[in-house]
Amino acid sequence: MDEIEKLKAKLKEINARAGKIRELPVEEKAEFGRKINAEREAVLAEIAEAERKSLDTEVEPIDITAWSGVNEKMPEFYSAEMGSKHPLMTELDRVTDIYQMMGFEVMESRQLDDEFHMFDSLNFPKEHPARDGYDTFRTEEGLIPPAHTSTMQHRVLKKYKSRLDEGKAIAVVVPGRVFRNEDVDATHEHTFYQCEGVYVSKDCTMGDMLGILREFFEKYYKQKLNIRTQPGYFPFTEPSLEFLIEKPKSLGGKKGDYLEMLGCGMIHPNVLKMAGIDPTKYHGFAWGGGIDRLVMLRYGLNDVRNFESGNLNFLREF
Amino acid sequence: MKISLNWLKKYVDIKIPNDELVRLIGARLVEVEGVIDETHKYDNIYIVRVEKAEKIPETHLTLCQINDGESELIQVVCGAPNVREGMLAAWIKPGAIVPASVKEDAPFVIGKRKMLGKYDSNGMLAAADELDLGEDHDGIVEIDPKMAKPGDLLANVFELNDLILEIENKSLTHRPDCFGMIGFAREVAGILNEKFEYNDEKNELSKNDDKRIEIKDENICSRYSAIILEKHGELKKKYLTWEDCVLSKSGMKPINPIVDATNYLMLLTGQPLHAFDYDKFIKVGKTDEPKIIVRLAKKGEKLTLLDEKEVVLTENDIVITSNDVPVALAGAMGGESTMIDENTKNIILESATFSLYNLRKTQMVHGIFSEAITRFTKGQPPYQTLVVAETCAKMLEEGFKVSAVMDEYPKPEKETVVKITTTEINALLGTDYSKSLIVKTLENVGFLINDQNEYLEIIAPVWRTDIHIKEDVIEEVGRLLGYDNIKPTLPMHATAEKNANFELKREIRELLSKFGANEVLTYSFVSEKLLEKVGLNKNNSHKIVNSISPELQYVRQSIVPSLLEKTYLNEKLPVEKFAIFEMNKVYQKDWGFDSEKVPVEKNALGFVVAERKSKETAFYKAKKYVEKLLEDLNIMVEFLPLNNNEALAKPFEPKRAAEIRLKDEPKVLVGVVGEFKNSVRNEFKLAPYLAGFEIDLDLLLEKRSRKKELKFGIKKSEDLTVTTTKTYAETLTEVEKKYPEAKISPLSVYQPEGQEAKNISFRIESF
Repeated sequence: MDEIEKLKAKLKEINARAGKIRELPVEEKAEFGRKINAEREAVLAEIAEAERKSLDTEVEPIDITAWSGVNEKMPEFYSAEMGSKHPLMTELDRVTDIYQMMGFEVMESRQLDDEFHMFDSLNFPKEHPARDGYDTFRTEEGLIPPAHTSTMQHRVLKKYKSRLDEGKAIAVVVPGRVFRNEDVDATHEHTFYQCEGVYVSKDCTMGDMLGILREFFEKYYKQKLNIRTQPGYFPFTEPSLEFLIEKPKSLGGKKGDYLEMLGCGMIHPNVLKMAGIDPTKYHGFAWGGGIDRLVMLRYGLNDVRNFESGNLNFLREF
Repeated sequence: MKISLNWLKKYVDIKIPNDELVRLIGARLVEVEGVIDETHKYDNIYIVRVEKAEKIPETHLTLCQINDGESELIQVVCGAPNVREGMLAAWIKPGAIVPASVKEDAPFVIGKRKMLGKYDSNGMLAAADELDLGEDHDGIVEIDPKMAKPGDLLANVFELNDLILEIENKSLTHRPDCFGMIGFAREVAGILNEKFEYNDEKNELSKNDDKRIEIKDENICSRYSAIILEKHGELKKKYLTWEDCVLSKSGMKPINPIVDATNYLMLLTGQPLHAFDYDKFIKVGKTDEPKIIVRLAKKGEKLTLLDEKEVVLTENDIVITSNDVPVALAGAMGGESTMIDENTKNIILESATFSLYNLRKTQMVHGIFSEAITRFTKGQPPYQTLVVAETCAKMLEEGFKVSAVMDEYPKPEKETVVKITTTEINALLGTDYSKSLIVKTLENVGFLINDQNEYLEIIAPVWRTDIHIKEDVIEEVGRLLGYDNIKPTLPMHATAEKNANFELKREIRELLSKFGANEVLTYSFVSEKLLEKVGLNKNNSHKIVNSISPELQYVRQSIVPSLLEKTYLNEKLPVEKFAIFEMNKVYQKDWGFDSEKVPVEKNALGFVVAERKSKETAFYKAKKYVEKLLEDLNIMVEFLPLNNNEALAKPFEPKRAAEIRLKDEPKVLVGVVGEFKNSVRNEFKLAPYLAGFEIDLDLLLEKRSRKKELKFGIKKSEDLTVTTTKTYAETLTEVEKKYPEAKISPLSVYQPEGQEAKNISFRIESF
């Protein structure tokens, strides 16, 4: 307490001195003002620090090994009805379960990556305008919080390429959190979740890609589905497509309503080459789509901002 | 980009219904974001002849009698200065909507009304802006009598009953050729399985002057063509034209005949053009005849653009100079000093290509997003610069004649040849297309094909700068014939191994939510302020340089601080009591980089419990949760006094928190559980009942094991109370020694008033 009192007295003294500014000649006023303000700031900071310290010293120690406070009831868990799992995480579990049953291993995506994995290893030419389309964040060191889960493709290919030598296929899905420098509104978040898929084998075709994706969505929506595609453009796949499904009945879909679910394509030979896979011997396909949207569709939600809000009125509904 | 279907139909013979056409374009060419239906925008607007026009004295108005093709003349009051007897005009009939207002909430419906209290006025004679066909409001539009007669519908004469496709430009990033109607139409023909025929205007002019263009670096400008036009007559814009309507439907506006011609050709061919005032150009360069130098700008060089803004150039910008004095920011915008105006006599018409990489930076640095730079940044090919300039000269020939043709093309593009077999194509697509079908499909869109029997030699057309490898050709075949015609197949697979990390998180999620906790997700980026509040060093966080806001500037080092922020929000709602948790990734600079040269990443679990009114000790609730969790994962730990100074320990109060360490390896820290420092709680404005934990998930994954053997059937249960001054843990150890086989659980801790010793009670169950 003493120390705080002392500092407060010092502040008072500085304030008194500050009043003298009026008596100074004009040319000295600015310099004097600057000095006295700096002093004042310094003392204010010291006071704040001292107050913080004094707050933290007035603390009663407890027996950290015990199960309850002295003369208190034993603590209890909250009831199961209060609990909830985050809908995005539940959805990721649901999605990866299906892929896992279909033969895909799961590898989680990173949240801080570099230019090489995000762009170079994916056949984005240096300084190519396609890099702009991703609105990436960057750190001071030039690291990138990835803007798509494709940032893991190179790692997946390298990690599992021995499978190819064994005559097997690489089949991996990569769920993860991704980031885009975007203004947030009801339909846009700068932070969201995607799931990437990578498949490589000796003789897979685009027909296999369409078959696997249709199979996934049919299992996911538990019904037969019509699918559709649109040409797309991604530097890391050639050909590149957008994949659509006819809106499922469970979501109130009518015939002819189509939903864009993901981007996909045959892996560009350069991407395979960079990971040490011979593109004349093997080919593959890859895809990536958003998870947030699946949840929005499932529950008929209309504001994506709820997901990272931490608002329990929203989360306890799940 | 906007594409008018009526314009498209000038180049491709389309026999299928519009909705089918739109679907096919979406399925085989580009993403169609929307379709603007303008089929009724011009309903009830007629071509009329002004039969009589009398000035109304002391007003700017004219009383007109118009002929709409019916027998009786109709009276309309018109305010335009250019209305005159004998002209053909566009008449908006009473009851019709003014086209410019169709998109508004309350479209403007034209009626009959009395003007100046005595003149009946029926409908209105329209200006270009009212028709949404330009910005001109100085006079009404005039229609060429060669094109129409009174009573014709305006929409029929100019084919305004149209559908406009809104194209997502990003889906054409690699297709500069499709940013012109000809290229777009060629693709549509290909999709419809028709051979595209376009009578490319033959290059009649050839270079006759090579002294006046100098390209300093061929990497920034692969070709620069220019035509000098000399004025010999008046270009007088009189009538509404088809081109005006095309410009408007494509989202541009008619401005003046020269600019309109360059813009129209850009929309048609994808090649942007620029017109300089010749006389101003040589004046700026202080030369007798133009000396065009294309070079990189010098740092700090200044240039005032057409929009009167002065830009400070960077060393990346490409400039067009007149004898080294910058007069245009290449590809982006012309300069004010050489701008054409009503007094322009002679013109330098520029048609060039520039490095998309430089222009892309220019676009970002100077914030210029014109139709021209949008096309240049896709990488316009150089093959057509001169032809397009020549076509433009022809469009302006009424007023200008060609006096010189210049063309600098230092390194002509080589043609791309790809060798591929039908087997390779079918193997990747999963199809069985015949050789003849493949050949025809590619030929329809301009590929040349030499059948070498074992393989096809495919020569890409000059406009296809995106074709390099086999896969590019395979894409063409698959796309034009329709990916939707590829039969989905399913390779068979056994079920895969589960990912242990993912499974661990799932178990924790199940467990904690079953015990009433709520899983939350919070942002991976936090504010400097948040780091300060919990006493973390911001220099240990990776800093985002282009963050959306100061709230999201640092990559987080731990989870709990984000949860404390959400605790405040929920106490405010108010939620009386809750436990929130999050499993996510954390990064600290001092962890360094891993073998892939990316920052070491750790998985952490954060947990915070809070109650708004409870007076009990929150520590024990948080501890109960973490103990239950670790017990389920069969990880044996000890709770030791908090002496740790790691980031995750910072917010915790050492006197009311514990380090969680492995029982067998006390050096290994699992995490920290406890209450928070008063100062931290104060900063977040939280109620006193507050505690939490943060633990290392990677360690849990490594140390977890399957449950020990389960014990069933309690034989004997008794309660035991010990009076002691020791800690709970010490007392428990003693009790355990006494009952080595039993399950011992705590019941209560009671301390009678004024006594030092506590009564600690246990329940002892034997099997």
